[in-house]
Amino acid sequence: MHTVDNPACQPGGLRQQRSPAPVTTKRSNITCVNGAVPTTIIVAGLALAGYALLMTALNRRMSVPLLAAVGVLEILLLVEVGIIVAKLASGERPAGLATLIGYLIAAPLVPVAAALWGLMERTRWGPAVIAVAGLVAAVLMVRLHQIWPVIHV
Amino acid sequence: MSEPMAPPEPTGSQPDSTRTGPGRLLVAVYGLFALSASARAGVQIATKFHHAPVAYLLSAFAGVVYILATVTLAIGSPTARRIAVVSCSVELAGVLAVGTWSLADPATFPDATVWSSYGSGYGFVPLVLPVFGLLWLRRWTKRPRARRATVTSAEDAGEAAGGGVAHVEGGTPGRGAENVVTDGRT
Repeated sequence: MHTVDNPACQPGGLRQQRSPAPVTTKRSNITCVNGAVPTTIIVAGLALAGYALLMTALNRRMSVPLLAAVGVLEILLLVEVGIIVAKLASGERPAGLATLIGYLIAAPLVPVAAALWGLMERTRWGPAVIAVAGLVAAVLMVRLHQIWPVIHV
Repeated sequence: MSEPMAPPEPTGSQPDSTRTGPGRLLVAVYGLFALSASARAGVQIATKFHHAPVAYLLSAFAGVVYILATVTLAIGSPTARRIAVVSCSVELAGVLAVGTWSLADPATFPDATVWSSYGSGYGFVPLVLPVFGLLWLRRWTKRPRARRATVTSAEDAGEAAGGGVAHVEGGTPGRGAENVVTDGRT
């Protein structure tokens, strides 16, 4: 990953460990992602990815439970976007505002686009698309908090 | 090469186009990278171009290649498939060249590109993606040969499978003929 603007996020960065930072404890990861909602999104995204990959492995098509799980992820993402927009509205600004706004637009679109694209598929590869969306949601949360680590909600 | 009477796979799981079956996943991941690479390059070029011009221009180039691959894989016509092969090849060459360049000459890359260090910042997906893309395109363009021999049975089975493949049936003979011509099969 490219250089992160905010050095506060650097030591505990989940995805970049160039420096010999103390990343051995559980808490060090929370330096970057330190809120209930984003943590829930990461867990939910990874769980959705696991569930969807299992469906792919079992040769299942898209199903209602899988779509419901995508819906839950979508709601969580919208809540997170709402929290960040509220923070922006209160006058706070991150260093990379353009990037943040890009993420705010992209994040809620990911599950919707994946659901639509996956529903067009009549084979096991529909759930595989959903798995990608789950992973992307988790990665987006980590990146979001590298851009703007002040989000504590 | 194959028995005329037996399709290579059960028709239910047989992809009808480069965008169906495993291609569905491939197009999704390509679309993701098309969006992220081009959006990121756009922001970087607009806000801080002089910080790392080479890196940002390479990111923009990568974005264009990803967009091209996404669109052509999603279209899946013979011409689109040829463009897709070229863009996947350019992508593979790019990730190998830029990956090596970024390791040999880090000073040129104060900020990373999608392809820096062979795409390690993106979980090496940029390195793996063109390989799968080329394998998929290769496998798919081979199919019409086998299918040409079994075109009647394949179409019967396609009709039995339902309306989802209806639009493909019209295009199949054309694609088959096109491939026989381009392959120069004797």
